[in-house]
Amino acid sequence: MVNLHFKDKLLLRLQHFTGWVTFLVWGTALIAGLRFFLRYKIPEIKKIRRTFKELKKQAEGPVLICSNHLTKLDSAVLNWSFASIWSYMRSFKVFSWNLPERENFYNNLGLRVVCYLASCIPIDRGGSREGIKKSLDKVAYLLKKGHPVTIFPEGGRSRTGRIDLEKFTYGVGRLVNQVKDCSVICVYLRGNNQESYSSIPRRGSRFYLNMELIKPKSEFRGLKATRDVSSQIIEKLVLMEQSYFASVGQ
Amino acid sequence: MTKEDVFSKVLDILGKYSKSEISADNISMETSILDDLKINSARLVDIVLDFEDAFDIEVDDDDADSVITVGDGVNLILSKI
Repeated sequence: MVNLHFKDKLLLRLQHFTGWVTFLVWGTALIAGLRFFLRYKIPEIKKIRRTFKELKKQAEGPVLICSNHLTKLDSAVLNWSFASIWSYMRSFKVFSWNLPERENFYNNLGLRVVCYLASCIPIDRGGSREGIKKSLDKVAYLLKKGHPVTIFPEGGRSRTGRIDLEKFTYGVGRLVNQVKDCSVICVYLRGNNQESYSSIPRRGSRFYLNMELIKPKSEFRGLKATRDVSSQIIEKLVLMEQSYFASVGQ
Repeated sequence: MTKEDVFSKVLDILGKYSKSEISADNISMETSILDDLKINSARLVDIVLDFEDAFDIEVDDDDADSVITVGDGVNLILSKI
């Protein structure tokens, strides 16, 4: 059950509106920074955008995006790859919300402003249960309203450079079970020279990105269902990672 | 089943997840599972799932959220059996 006050809902709508009306400025600057300053490249970006659009259409309902996590710029790269600036201008609702760790992104005013405009909901990993629950309630509310939300089920950047099965959290399973007809787009993202986790991908990185739609279901109830659904998502990501390494001959 | 029996079984379960030594001498009802026993919050759900199996109870997500100390776990189990 989503327990969100009217004020919180209103603040989320205000954040979305402010992000949209200022998007041309910060969105263009962000993508220009990724493309021209950091020289990142997503070789099959048009195909990726078509696939994302198609998968969202197939989902026919709320969409949670679950990705592996290696760098602090993963959310930015994902949103850059999912749609063009013009698509976001036409429908900012396509822009995925995400949940950065407060400790990493909210320590200076500039980053706080960018995070606010870029549809971020800060989360205190390892923080109070009430705080985490409130953040997850906001996510559930947004999903029900048709906004895509990106979550990293590993709960942080993988220290091993591979999908971290030790630390994966059950929050994703809980969200999927909480939001009726919620589908999951599993995304595997990796820079071509990304050996392990890092703050940002190396300058000049070319990104591999693969995505698949799943509709996790569980025959269990309660916490067992939460664990079951979370496991289905993480197992899909592991398979996608194996495909990636097979494709690069490792 | 008495409160002491439940407490003892809960300690056995916690022992599987904590790197700290778990015994009735150094753990009380007020011991925090995350802070004092240094158990990853992601594993707290696994612990509550072990409670379900060990005591043949069913716990929902909101009840699981209420488990912060060892005593919270013991009282939750006692309220379900």
